[in-house]
Amino acid sequence: MTAKTHARPASLSRRGFLKGSAALGAGLAMPRMALAQQEGQLLLWLPGGSDLFCKIHTGLLEKFSTGAGLGPATTVCGLGQDTEFTQALIGSITAGTPPDISMLWDSPVSLGAQGAFMPLDDMMKGSKISIDTWPAGLLSSCQFKGVTYGLPVTAGVYSMWYNQELFEAKGIPSDRASFPKTWDEMRKLSKEFTVWDGDKLVSAGFMPNRVPETMVIWSALNGGGMFDEANLKYTIDSEQNVEMFNYFLDWMNEEYKGDFNLVDRSGNFLDGYPNATTGMGPAFREGRQAGMQSGSWLLGDIFADPVPTFTRWNLAGNPVGPSGSKSVSGTWPNWFVIPVGSKNPQAAFDYLSYLAVEGSVEWYQQIPDVPTNSQVQRKAPEGLVKNRGQEVADDITAFLGEQAAIVTPMWNSPVQSYYTDQIARATEKIYTKAASVKDALAEAQAATQAELERVLAG
Amino acid sequence: MAANTTSGAASAPPRTARPGRAEARAGVLFALPWMVGMTLFVLIPLILTFYIAQTKFQITGAPKWVGLANYEALMKDPAFWRSAKNTAIYAAISVPLKLVMALGLALLLNRATALSGFYRTVFYLPFLMPAVAGSVVFMLLLTPGAGPVNIVLQALGFSPPDWLLDPSVALWTLILLSLWPLGVETLVFLGGLQNIPKDVSEAADLDSPKAWHKLVWITLPMITPMILFNLVIGIIYSFQVFTQAIVIGGTTGTPAESTLMYMVVLYRAAFRYFNMGAAAAMATVLFGVVLVLTLLIFRSARGWVHYEGAGR
Repeated sequence: MTAKTHARPASLSRRGFLKGSAALGAGLAMPRMALAQQEGQLLLWLPGGSDLFCKIHTGLLEKFSTGAGLGPATTVCGLGQDTEFTQALIGSITAGTPPDISMLWDSPVSLGAQGAFMPLDDMMKGSKISIDTWPAGLLSSCQFKGVTYGLPVTAGVYSMWYNQELFEAKGIPSDRASFPKTWDEMRKLSKEFTVWDGDKLVSAGFMPNRVPETMVIWSALNGGGMFDEANLKYTIDSEQNVEMFNYFLDWMNEEYKGDFNLVDRSGNFLDGYPNATTGMGPAFREGRQAGMQSGSWLLGDIFADPVPTFTRWNLAGNPVGPSGSKSVSGTWPNWFVIPVGSKNPQAAFDYLSYLAVEGSVEWYQQIPDVPTNSQVQRKAPEGLVKNRGQEVADDITAFLGEQAAIVTPMWNSPVQSYYTDQIARATEKIYTKAASVKDALAEAQAATQAELERVLAG
Repeated sequence: MAANTTSGAASAPPRTARPGRAEARAGVLFALPWMVGMTLFVLIPLILTFYIAQTKFQITGAPKWVGLANYEALMKDPAFWRSAKNTAIYAAISVPLKLVMALGLALLLNRATALSGFYRTVFYLPFLMPAVAGSVVFMLLLTPGAGPVNIVLQALGFSPPDWLLDPSVALWTLILLSLWPLGVETLVFLGGLQNIPKDVSEAADLDSPKAWHKLVWITLPMITPMILFNLVIGIIYSFQVFTQAIVIGGTTGTPAESTLMYMVVLYRAAFRYFNMGAAAAMATVLFGVVLVLTLLIFRSARGWVHYEGAGR
């Protein structure tokens, strides 16, 4: 994929909605295409993504099908993101005309637990992509009650991105080893870069997290978590999470005048992409923000428009919170599932095996979604080598591999979207001071736990 | 008896029922495609919605009967109440505002000038623009800081609000955007204005030179059927506001649920949480509310709507 931006991460974005309208039309036309599906001929569905993304996957599927002696394969690209892609996929499953295999940009657990996707455990046994070849934290994003409903073939890995040139201009060491290891160190360093002109934020250091999807990573960094899968219990209002939000709130009050609206008026300090709502450019690429947390997909986009005002940047591990003891990472995987009703489940699984080990190398070289299977011999992305040189590219590739191995469990709830909306709601209430941290988290906890119990009952 | 019957039949007047039956048959045949469509795409889905509202149905798998549990859950859901409140405020303000604005536009467009046709086209054109595209344009116009609207307001010495970021302002922005486009409502009013007989209009001019007298005592009463039509349609549409709300506020109604509308909550329950039972329950509640409001308006209309040639 080229970009998973987080301007409105918890909800259906404008871009998503626009694509959704097209996807819905495509979905309605889908039965005709799906009916053409035959035994021995693989049909693959992809959500959104660039032309290059589609081309790579079309090529990989064709290569596999030819090598395996299967008939001509079909790749359907650009069916939309988020809700609209899910609608099309569910529609095809309930109509009995699903693709043989599909990529997902949302956790397969919700629909898998409801019987929409085939369990893969039996097929994985004795195959070259057995369970022990996947990092446990990553695989948990596809598992529920010990059943595996999909595979995280590649993933965007979350880590800290920082502008080395800004660091050096202030005489601050810019090597990875010197990067702050704790939230306190990061917060202290942040002040070095934060400059206000009246109510306009001219430049900033780092920001307290506002992205709902990644809140679980920050929770884990503070020794907590959001969902205890073993006991089917949400822990949104745990002590560690209350402490985390109080910490962020205090940080916002101290460094950002207690009002993120002022920050948002001044630019896009939320992620590394132009803001889809306001059209504002990314402050990080504009050289106005010292660092941020972002997914590794930015590696594929950072050299394109808007071109950064600097050339030297680096990645570092996520710092640890006051109650945390170790650094962890997080991911947003590209999941693959085999829908119930697939006409070629074994061939689809064989393709998954090929894609996870051989195919993902080629994929990563062109679009830097990190291959996650432990057997993959990663080669640095071509764009990164071209722009930063082989040594830096190899270093970043190795670093992302290390980060992928320390991923905290996430995306593993059967009510993932509901949880994400609830945490987004709580976060907004906390930062706009519409509710206290305790109250906002308690409300989210109660609602999400009730939804989980409703879904699991009967 | 038989002979009598035969002779009676011979002298009986020709049966008039036959042509009526043929007409009725033709009528039914002509209406059949519509009736089939109505049954398949409206009636059956409507009945199914009431059924699904009383089931636990997660799209995949069979629905499971749960009685009124979905309605009970709705009553406890803060998002349901928040969205209902937002939607009610939106409807209560945007509908009358739209009516007044559309009437004002129609009165202006009704004046015969050389450019009348041009202006009518210009005011109708926005209606042809997709709502999503229109919303995106307004989002860019209202961007805090760099948006043209705020730049102009700042240049004029005003302190512009965060149109889409401030929870206390965002709903009002959405209401403001509901005024765009006004093409259909204006066109309906224009049709009514142009149907006012000239002799009545001229008599009113003779009776009083004040324009507002003519507006209040002649024009408005003469177009009350159009006001009724625009009012009912406006209420139905305003309770179903969706596109602008989801484009601007997403499925969580950012900022701080201030733009969270009823249809957005319904949509996310169905297609984001796969809780079709809750979504169907919400749909039936909305159906009931809009039905009651529409009936109340029609009942009150007996007192204030005047049809030409009717007793009142």
